[in-house]
Amino acid sequence: MRQFKVFKSLVVDSLDTITKGSVKYHLWMGFLTLIILIGMYCYSIQLEEGLSVTGMNDRVSWGLYISNFTFLVGVAAAAVMLVMPTYILKDIDFKQAVLIGEGLAVAALIMCIAFVIADMGGPAVLWHMIPGIGVFNFPKSMLAWDVIVLNGYLFINITIPFYILFRHYQGKEAKKSVYLPGAVLSVFWAVAIHLVTAFLYQGLQARPFWNNALLGPRFLASAFAAGPALIILVLAIIKHFTAFKVEERTIKKIAMIVTVAAQINLIMLISELFKEFYAPTHHSESAYYLFFGLHGKTALLPWIWTAISLNVIATAMLTFNRLRNNPKVLYFCCAMLFVAIWIEKGFGLIVPGFIPGPYGKIVEYLPTSIEVGVTIGIWALGAFIFTILAKTAIGIELGELRYKSKEDTL
Amino acid sequence: MSENKKWYSLDLGLKRKKASSGGCGCGKSEGDCNSPKEELSAEEFYEAAINASIGDERHRDGFEQVFDVKMDRRSAFKKLTASLLIGAGAVSTSCSLTSSGDAKEKAQIDWEEQFKGNYKLMSDEEKKKTVDRLMRSYELRTGKNISMTAENAEEDVLFGYAFNISKCQGYMDCVTACVEENNQDRNSEMQYIRIHEMKDGEGFKFDKADDNYYHEVPVEGHFYMGTQCFHCDNPPCVDVCPVQATWKEEDGLVVVDYDWCIGCRYCMAACPYDGRRFNWSKPEVPENEVNKNQHYLGNRMRKKGVMEKCTFCVQRSRKGKNPACVEACPTGARIFGNLLDPNSTIRWVLENKKVFRLKEDLGTEPKFWYFMD
Amino acid sequence: MKNKNRIYCTLLLLFAILSSCKNEGEYHSVSDRIAAEEVPYHGTLSSEELLAGRDLIKITEGDHIFLIPERKSQIKSFACIECHSKPLSQMKEPDKTKAHWDITIKHANIETMNCASCHNPQDMNNLRSLTGSKIDFDLSYKLCAQCHNTQFKDWKGGAHGKKISGWTPPRASMTCVECHNPHDPGFSQRWPAQFNTKKAIERKEGLDH
Repeated sequence: MRQFKVFKSLVVDSLDTITKGSVKYHLWMGFLTLIILIGMYCYSIQLEEGLSVTGMNDRVSWGLYISNFTFLVGVAAAAVMLVMPTYILKDIDFKQAVLIGEGLAVAALIMCIAFVIADMGGPAVLWHMIPGIGVFNFPKSMLAWDVIVLNGYLFINITIPFYILFRHYQGKEAKKSVYLPGAVLSVFWAVAIHLVTAFLYQGLQARPFWNNALLGPRFLASAFAAGPALIILVLAIIKHFTAFKVEERTIKKIAMIVTVAAQINLIMLISELFKEFYAPTHHSESAYYLFFGLHGKTALLPWIWTAISLNVIATAMLTFNRLRNNPKVLYFCCAMLFVAIWIEKGFGLIVPGFIPGPYGKIVEYLPTSIEVGVTIGIWALGAFIFTILAKTAIGIELGELRYKSKEDTL
Repeated sequence: MSENKKWYSLDLGLKRKKASSGGCGCGKSEGDCNSPKEELSAEEFYEAAINASIGDERHRDGFEQVFDVKMDRRSAFKKLTASLLIGAGAVSTSCSLTSSGDAKEKAQIDWEEQFKGNYKLMSDEEKKKTVDRLMRSYELRTGKNISMTAENAEEDVLFGYAFNISKCQGYMDCVTACVEENNQDRNSEMQYIRIHEMKDGEGFKFDKADDNYYHEVPVEGHFYMGTQCFHCDNPPCVDVCPVQATWKEEDGLVVVDYDWCIGCRYCMAACPYDGRRFNWSKPEVPENEVNKNQHYLGNRMRKKGVMEKCTFCVQRSRKGKNPACVEACPTGARIFGNLLDPNSTIRWVLENKKVFRLKEDLGTEPKFWYFMD
Repeated sequence: MKNKNRIYCTLLLLFAILSSCKNEGEYHSVSDRIAAEEVPYHGTLSSEELLAGRDLIKITEGDHIFLIPERKSQIKSFACIECHSKPLSQMKEPDKTKAHWDITIKHANIETMNCASCHNPQDMNNLRSLTGSKIDFDLSYKLCAQCHNTQFKDWKGGAHGKKISGWTPPRASMTCVECHNPHDPGFSQRWPAQFNTKKAIERKEGLDH
């Protein structure tokens, strides 16, 4: 009963916190709301007309939505790179960063789910996927696995920070025995969500571009570069706008993680390029299309070469301690890396998988404005959710939000 | 706008009913009271269905709400008829005084169709019920009757197909016959069959072949090769479907339950043969061109956002006929039959001709062979 | 200890489920399945209903026994002797209109074949084999089989030609003359029945939204 009261008070307090703030904060939230509304409008058109309003077609049947989904799974998985040192290796540094990271994971997962729903042809019958009521093709379908691991990960990432914050809200320390098993589980789970998402593509013998043993590991490497890079940027912003203290050492540690992951990612990229181009077979055609264009079709060239240059430059710069330790350079590199991997794992991975088609036919893909609208709307939704979560969490961590029991007030 | 439309729409949930017969309780003239009412109820119904199923979280926080709603669903599902009636009743209460019995029946059918189970798991009785509902629904919407069946796979039958690449002349009569037989969307010009025009002496260069030619055929120095769904014995598309909306029947046909498909298009990505098609928008067939001999798993009307594919014309083959493409082929390049019957002609072809299959290295075991004279 | 066993059992079960999920069929390939499950079809489906009302003749060629359509009733001017009452040479008169003016032979060349290769001027109601024996119009495939023996073999087996109705037994196949005009057996060039404009647009202007 008491727990319930505390919970109610927490909800009320957090509602109070998230509706109050500086003008900048209100402008930011208003801006996000506007974008979300635009996204919803675009989606309503898509619901009415069908997916024909997108740039997708029978040849390239997955596009911007699934690209973003794939990328965001990586971002969500990256929270583990903070959880592991904090809870398992007991590196105290990361404690505050972890809450932010897990908030980011929650927002990323919700975006993932929103992207998948946006991509569905029949969102009205999504209940067919719920085990028990619908028919779940488990364990055969990797998509079924993905549904399980994503929702499980979402659950873990909501409950752990919630428990910790809930305790802190009452002015108590969180009990290790309660959250540690969850934290340990989440480490494995994070690897699982990303591997399973990679297997989703990797398991298709029809698409040689994806049917490649390196896909899973490369997913992990790029995720552990892009995710923490985003966390660094977010921490920098939080540090700038709030009183929340993030130690220099924390950011440096995360920067180290980003650097190593980016380096590994680059090595894997080289390995992939070698395999595709040293002795090209007809299975390399997708790679040719992606990197050099095929039969005069070159839509992806500017994207992928931008991504690769950004990737190489950022990784090279991060490799030098002096550059990495300069916050301005670090933030710049992180932003570059984030964009590079977004292109590489999104557009650069999903679209060429479909080109050329099973019979060598090429239909190029370019998202329509409606598709872009929905996508930006979902990103805004993610930012919106993250802002709410972060604001509450920061409030609690700073001690501004505390449960006031009746005994206290008397 | 819909009254005199030549095209009628296939989407069950969204479709407004055509002018209905039968009087109504209100004082106004029939047309005045009926049409807006029906529209309202259909609209409301649609809203309710969408809200119930996905609600706000189409854009907002995806998972939680979906899950909540599903809990609602579950109870609704369990109490089945009773709560379905209540639900359908609630939707149409506002117009219960004035709307005709047809509208109510239509709402009832739509509701039951929305929440029915997977065809693969249905008993014969349930299959019959859904088929009856779909026929009745069509009648209510268009005033015309269709005949829909739900024959199960025949015992001791495994369908197979053989294609003679030295006989095919590229006339594409099969493509036309297929489109007409299977009620494919005319707007997007959906076609299950592709005929690839290949140059002699270059082998199977699909990327260089033209599968959308328009010149007199056959062209000197070329041969023609048709592709469609190969009804693999080890179909990758079936394995990947997250909801088992597509499966391999006992007689080897790989079929789709259009009402169970959620439109994720994973099967499309998994098919190495370009055998699957997606309804990117609402499929439309002119009313007078609709093939009214339908099968639940075959050529019945599809809706937007679902997969479809060649079914070897299940509505024909399970009645002992040949698929439409086989019947239409003027050159006899297409051979269809029962692989398990040692006396069948397809078996003779497999045993006596030099047959091969496409992309055999993928282990998909297509039941579609090519051969030459 | 008990717990350990339980874990073992769960793991085993999981393994069993995972390993059984891929190949629920017992066969490696579809040919294995065909070999294992083959049985002459005697099911409920039959072509008989679909073939009802057609005049069919049962023929036996080698191991193959099947039905072919009766031909004579389909020939408009049969029986031939209604006109061909006297030998051909006597019927040829310069001022009379030609009876078969629309027939031109585009079948092999004139050194190999002429009208008399198949028709017997003395017995117009029947066809004539190369060796001079009588062939009924209903069994005209025998005439074709004299030269086109590979096609004949394929036709008997079912690799060449078309069925009259469906795939179910009894088998009823069309004969050569249902598809080939015996006087001009080749297929001509013509325009295809379909052109997909959407596909053309998709490929050429795929990026124009």
